[in-house]
Amino acid sequence: MKLFRRKRFESDMDAELGFHVDAYVDDLFRSGMDPSEAARRARIEFGATEATKDECRQAWGLQWTDELRADLRLTFRTLRQNPGFAAIAILSLALGIGANSAIFGLMDAVMLRLLPVHEPGRLVFVQTAGTAGRDGPPYPYFELLRDRSKSFEAMAAFSASNMEIVIDGGREQARGIWVSGNFYETLGVAPMIGRTLAASDDQTLGIGGPDGAVAVISRAYWQQRFGGDPAVVGRAVHMFEHTVTIVGVMPSEIMSTEPGRPIDIAVPMMLSDPVKLRDRVSLWMEIVARLKPAVRAEQARAESNALFQAYMADVRIPPEVHQRLFDHMELTPASKGLGGLRTQFSQPLTAMMILAGLVLLAACVNVANLMLARATARQKEFAVRLAIGAGRGRLIRQSLTEALVLVGAGAALGILFARLGEAALAAFFAEGNNKIVLDLSLNGRMLLFTLTVTVLSGLAFGILPAVRASRFDPAAGLQSGSRGIAGSRLSLRLGRALVIMQVALSTVLLAGAGLFIRSLRELESVDLGFTREGILTMEVTPEWQVFGTPQWLTVQAEVLDRVRRIPGVRSASWATMTPLSGRDRGAVLDIPGFVPQSEKDKDVHLAAVSPEYFETVGIPLLLGRALTPRDDATASKVAILNETATRFYFGAENPIGKKVRFANYPSHDLVYEIIGVVKDAKHDSLREPPSRFIYLPIPQSVDRINRLALAVRGTGKAVAFARPVRQEVQTVRSTVLINNVSTMEKQVEQSLRRERLVTALSTAFGVLALVLACIGLYGILAYAVTRRTSEIGIRMALGATQGEIVWLILREAMALAASGVIIGVPAVLVLGLISRALLYGVGPFDLPTFSCALLILLVFAAIAGIVPARRAGRLDPMSALRCE
Amino acid sequence: MKKQVNLVQGTLDMLILKAVSLGGLHGYGVLLRLQQLTGGQLQIQQGSLYPALYRLERQGLITSEWGESENKRKAKFYTLTARGRKQLKAEAESWNRFSIVVASVLRALPERS
Repeated sequence: MKLFRRKRFESDMDAELGFHVDAYVDDLFRSGMDPSEAARRARIEFGATEATKDECRQAWGLQWTDELRADLRLTFRTLRQNPGFAAIAILSLALGIGANSAIFGLMDAVMLRLLPVHEPGRLVFVQTAGTAGRDGPPYPYFELLRDRSKSFEAMAAFSASNMEIVIDGGREQARGIWVSGNFYETLGVAPMIGRTLAASDDQTLGIGGPDGAVAVISRAYWQQRFGGDPAVVGRAVHMFEHTVTIVGVMPSEIMSTEPGRPIDIAVPMMLSDPVKLRDRVSLWMEIVARLKPAVRAEQARAESNALFQAYMADVRIPPEVHQRLFDHMELTPASKGLGGLRTQFSQPLTAMMILAGLVLLAACVNVANLMLARATARQKEFAVRLAIGAGRGRLIRQSLTEALVLVGAGAALGILFARLGEAALAAFFAEGNNKIVLDLSLNGRMLLFTLTVTVLSGLAFGILPAVRASRFDPAAGLQSGSRGIAGSRLSLRLGRALVIMQVALSTVLLAGAGLFIRSLRELESVDLGFTREGILTMEVTPEWQVFGTPQWLTVQAEVLDRVRRIPGVRSASWATMTPLSGRDRGAVLDIPGFVPQSEKDKDVHLAAVSPEYFETVGIPLLLGRALTPRDDATASKVAILNETATRFYFGAENPIGKKVRFANYPSHDLVYEIIGVVKDAKHDSLREPPSRFIYLPIPQSVDRINRLALAVRGTGKAVAFARPVRQEVQTVRSTVLINNVSTMEKQVEQSLRRERLVTALSTAFGVLALVLACIGLYGILAYAVTRRTSEIGIRMALGATQGEIVWLILREAMALAASGVIIGVPAVLVLGLISRALLYGVGPFDLPTFSCALLILLVFAAIAGIVPARRAGRLDPMSALRCE
Repeated sequence: MKKQVNLVQGTLDMLILKAVSLGGLHGYGVLLRLQQLTGGQLQIQQGSLYPALYRLERQGLITSEWGESENKRKAKFYTLTARGRKQLKAEAESWNRFSIVVASVLRALPERS
């Protein structure tokens, strides 16, 4: 469009001026002049046509764009002449910008993005608070608040949970969420197909509403499980004891308020466990509420709290528990959703963003250095341009144009890199049992961020050469050769400063990477307390009718029997949970003779296991006896403690034969005799110190057994057993649901997801910075050698050996590297302090790590220096002297 | 050198506005009319007319339109805009004041000393 207008302007101007000259010629001719003489006169009197045109263009305001075009043309031409320079500059900028965009994209998805709902700013989570932190309140309180409070426009309850679903007779597991009927209405989310849930769907306990039991599914689940069939609306599936009709499809990203957590299906609260719904102290759900426009959060909090205190008046709980969990109500802003993912990744992502920023800075410094060197090489050109009348402003603009072209190309390539990187990051998050689904598609905020970063970096490295160009003295530039120019000493000094800065930045990044690598190593070599290799695990769930029945016990025994006969299998066992599986179960123990300091002291982790469990998983028995098949439902009740529990409850005493009682189970007298002690094993994460554990035989479990984990140990690769084991399980009972097939090794790896991410990124950044520093170092040394050619010639003529010359240049490389390192060290310490919380088993001032980073830097500095140094050493003294 | 051009330019702009104000003209017509009005006393570099016309059009003081000249050729005709009329009036007034002031200065007689 613009170009078209421009062409029009030119042709109009030609026509107009042409008309003028022709008309004048006509007039002259009519006044009796000879035609050729008339044409000559007309041209002379009109004056210089091209100059006039130029003035017209200028008058029309086109000069600016014309000059820009000329600048761009010159830039592209010079970049084409120096493809090496262009490639290095664009590539380093692309990597720097790409790293920043990718990390920012991740930050945006995890930390910054608001829920895509109606007016997210007015949403709050209403939570109970106490010394143990905040949690969602019990369901009866939700009903009270919903019916009595006046501060909220609407409020809804929800609780994510895995659900079993029977589709066409097959049992499957789905990621579900219990919601009060008005949940999506409260958030302000519209269905994509069909209808959403309504308050009326959540009226009657165990039934639902006038349409019976209904549910909505996510778009992703609709696509993956139902192939995007629009007839899914109205389809009946079976869940729990109900026939549930699917009434609508919702946008995937707002099925729940927890970013990153994929949810397949949402079911009304009234279909969930009635016991749980009635329980006045059970914390299993969350409330999300929308404040009325005029109501302040504090006002709403006060009202919620007053209602809560009234609610708690007739609730009987120990004062300890009251203080820890039920002290008062708090409102938490809900605009960004529930923060599970956010709390886990905020810190590492912030650290990564800082590192990415440093990488970009290193890239900018690198390009600034390259441009500076080029500006020095182009001094003659600048001198000529100034001498024939170019303004200094034009030279500055030319330099900035070059910078912006480079950074623009870098940004375009960088966005491409960022997309690739983000695909890898998304895949990284999506692996494993606790899959995290991140929406990393490009959005306006990300583009704005990239644009800002791009322009800032363009200015950062473009401004230096531009300013130098403007201060340039054309007379000096024209007179002398490429050396001996007054400005070049300055530019060499500036270049050195930039290289030192690059080395300092790489010091920081390398040392940071070193710390994270050490941490990961420490974590990986931590004593797990169980065997990592050769163990296959899977979760097996029978139909709910079978939960806790002898029939389920028979199935378990039969499965073990068959699995053990698979060739290569050494042992197999059942447990309610295996280490690092993300499953957990707590219980409260009363121990005669043990005086708890607080209620918390009675808390213990509880697992029910089959006899061979400890052998299968590789947890050694330290004292007493192991479980046997004779410890069944009819035998006297027995239990095994782990070391930590033993030490905590019995100190140095021998616990064998002591009795423990499970509190909070009024119906039976649950007293167990301790028969053995096993070694501690990591359970939640590799970072945490071991927690107290009690193990019971499955037939003697305190509650009815439902889902169990099957652990199989064999020779060779554990994954190889997945198929035969699965087959055997299904042969015994075809209707069981098998989930989360994995290996111990994989689960250990996945539990280190965050650490692996941080380590991988920081290492990549460190390597990148190192490469950039080497390029910078090489560049400045090569330039120094050229500049000092005659000096080197003199030295050689005076008897310096080749080795001495090489050392002369290498010494400079080392001096530059060492200066950078010295400047970098304080920054390294700051970085260490910032990321202290991410480290494990290594302090923020880890001397071996730092020494290693320094060593790597110096070695690479030497490598970067050796090429120019050897070139200097090979100079022929005669030609070196003559080249002046 | 530059200052001189500016001065001439300023005057030239005013003269062009005046010429155009008497009726729509093409560029060559402006030249002819100015020569006619000044009785050929004012030397105008023909080429310098056009940058001035472009500048005035850019400033919105005149507008242009393609039309047909007396001898049936395509030519660009300029007319004065409302803003141009106002500008011409203001410039003419200030020019008159200026010339009166300058003239009165030049009329001054040497003081007795």
